[in-house]
Amino acid sequence: MRSLRRRAWVSGGLVSLIAVTTGVLLLYSFLESEALQRFDLSLRERHTQAVVALSRFADDPARIDEVLLDPEYDRPASGRYWQVVGPDGEIYASASLLEATLPLSNEAATDLAIHDAQGADGEPYRMAHQVITLEDGTRWEVAVAMALAGLELDRAEARRSLAVAFSLMVLVGLAGMVAQTAIMLRPIRLLRQDVAHRWEKGEVLDSSDYPEEVAPLVDDINYLLQRNLEIVRRSRQQAADLAHALKTPSAILRNEIMLLPDREQVAGRALDALDRLDAQLARSLARIRTSNTAEASNIRTDVTATVQRFSRMFSKLAANADKALTVEATPGLSLRADPQDFEEVLGNILDNALKWSRTRIVVTARNHARGIEILVQDDGPGIPEEERSAALVSGKRLDASVPGAGLGLAITAELLKAYGGMIELQRSEDLGGLAVLVIWPTAPTQLAG
Amino acid sequence: MRILLCEDEPVLCDQIKRLLAAEGRVVDVANDGQEACFLGLTEPYDMIILDLGLPILDGTSVLKEWRAKNIAVPVLILTARDAWSDRVDGLDAGADDYMTKPFHLPELAARVRATLRRQAGRTSPFFEKGGVLLDTRNARVTLNGVPVDLTALEIAVLSYLFHNSGRLISRTELSEHIYSHDSDRDSNTIAVFINRLRKKLGHDLIQTMRGRGYMILTD
Repeated sequence: MRSLRRRAWVSGGLVSLIAVTTGVLLLYSFLESEALQRFDLSLRERHTQAVVALSRFADDPARIDEVLLDPEYDRPASGRYWQVVGPDGEIYASASLLEATLPLSNEAATDLAIHDAQGADGEPYRMAHQVITLEDGTRWEVAVAMALAGLELDRAEARRSLAVAFSLMVLVGLAGMVAQTAIMLRPIRLLRQDVAHRWEKGEVLDSSDYPEEVAPLVDDINYLLQRNLEIVRRSRQQAADLAHALKTPSAILRNEIMLLPDREQVAGRALDALDRLDAQLARSLARIRTSNTAEASNIRTDVTATVQRFSRMFSKLAANADKALTVEATPGLSLRADPQDFEEVLGNILDNALKWSRTRIVVTARNHARGIEILVQDDGPGIPEEERSAALVSGKRLDASVPGAGLGLAITAELLKAYGGMIELQRSEDLGGLAVLVIWPTAPTQLAG
Repeated sequence: MRILLCEDEPVLCDQIKRLLAAEGRVVDVANDGQEACFLGLTEPYDMIILDLGLPILDGTSVLKEWRAKNIAVPVLILTARDAWSDRVDGLDAGADDYMTKPFHLPELAARVRATLRRQAGRTSPFFEKGGVLLDTRNARVTLNGVPVDLTALEIAVLSYLFHNSGRLISRTELSEHIYSHDSDRDSNTIAVFINRLRKKLGHDLIQTMRGRGYMILTD
């Protein structure tokens, strides 16, 4: 069973069931015997009354019923009976017995005997029976009986009370169990919230905020988070170092070819090969980046600050080229991504816009229902609709007349995809050139899911 | 035009130097941040190409130092890594442009030309005056459409005067901008170059202000 809550509920439910069942059984058997004892006590008292009546009217037993005054003795088949058998075998009995007699056992008992019996009509009853020897030496048999139906009524009443009481107990117990489970699981729920919340702030979790049973887990989570980040950082660094190590000799080779006096004849194929090498390098580096975005998603990136920082830089470059860049960014935008990845996306798009614009670039950054929206528009030639998807595929460069590896937008698209975001190339309504629309989910799963 | 190239990779350094020299530029080289910082502070360059990954003192710090000391020379930064932060920091520290390695040499040459043109307040790569035309893209000079053969130093003198058209340039200033740091400078040779230029391009192009210097008048 994988759910702690379900585990707590099932085990708590089982323990409660066993406890309640045992309680019910014990209490029920206690109440049963209590009821029987009370029944037998009443039977004894009635027997004593009959013996007293006999001792008073031994000389005229027919008058015994004058002192046994319970009206139930007079009501036919009422379930309460008495019977006296004289020394000569003559039988005196309550009117309730009608013509029947109580089945007295043949063995005369001098001690009071109580036992179950059955009437002629099959009615079960309980009977107290004793042989009495009066002072004059005569032997009498005195018996009283009460139908067991009364006892059964008592017992049913007891069962009902028990059922109500224990049902209430079960309800209270279940509610308590649910509440207890929630209290026990609260630190784990808090831990989940804290992990999400603190990742956004880029803080480590403080294990002293948690119960001592959960604190070691918090320490472990901290350790794993740090370790993961460290591994990603190191692998990215290694990739960057490798790229640097390969880029410099590649640049040297290319330059050497470019400086050849008769390069037109000899260098075409060599330059092609170098182009392929550089493109492959850029693609591999981008791929290493995109494969590690999940771990990088735990870092908070200040979108507004980065957009403004980049706009400042590109404004300066734009001014150099007699172009103007304007920016409009909603304050306080942030998302969960490696800042370098966000910079890569923003930088590539702005670089592209600067390259192709004629005089104007407009950047806007704001909240979007699915994350953060960044729109970069320019007044350049734009990209025809049928060529837009090719511009986002790595290795397909649309125009070789402007310098650059032509991979910027493709790398951007791949990075965005890895973060669950999207990029769309459109025609700028305001400026007439290209509009690059980026939607970057604030939480990495928002679009990917 | 005199350019300071701050780059620690010797082969790349040599290639850039050859490229710029072919366009009539004079190039000084600094191989580490400390040397770069010193040369930038003490020599009058027309432009500086600065690699951010220099040994001893990193490029961004060097640039900050120059700007703090009011050295306003245009600076083009070179970055090897793909990290955009480096470029933003570089531009924030006062750079005018950036290029990422590996770059294509023709693109670097174009950026250098554009920067120098901006300095001169021009948008065209050509300078033209009285039938004399200087194409800054290849350092070629024509007189009334006929190519004229000039030496590297003659081109350097002509180019500096063209880039500073309308301004009086002293012999000292001219020599500071046409000779590299390690060459023997002699401001007396300037008069020789001016005479040769006049012979090849006509006497009206360069005006002499006796005892003060030379200038090319603006139209």
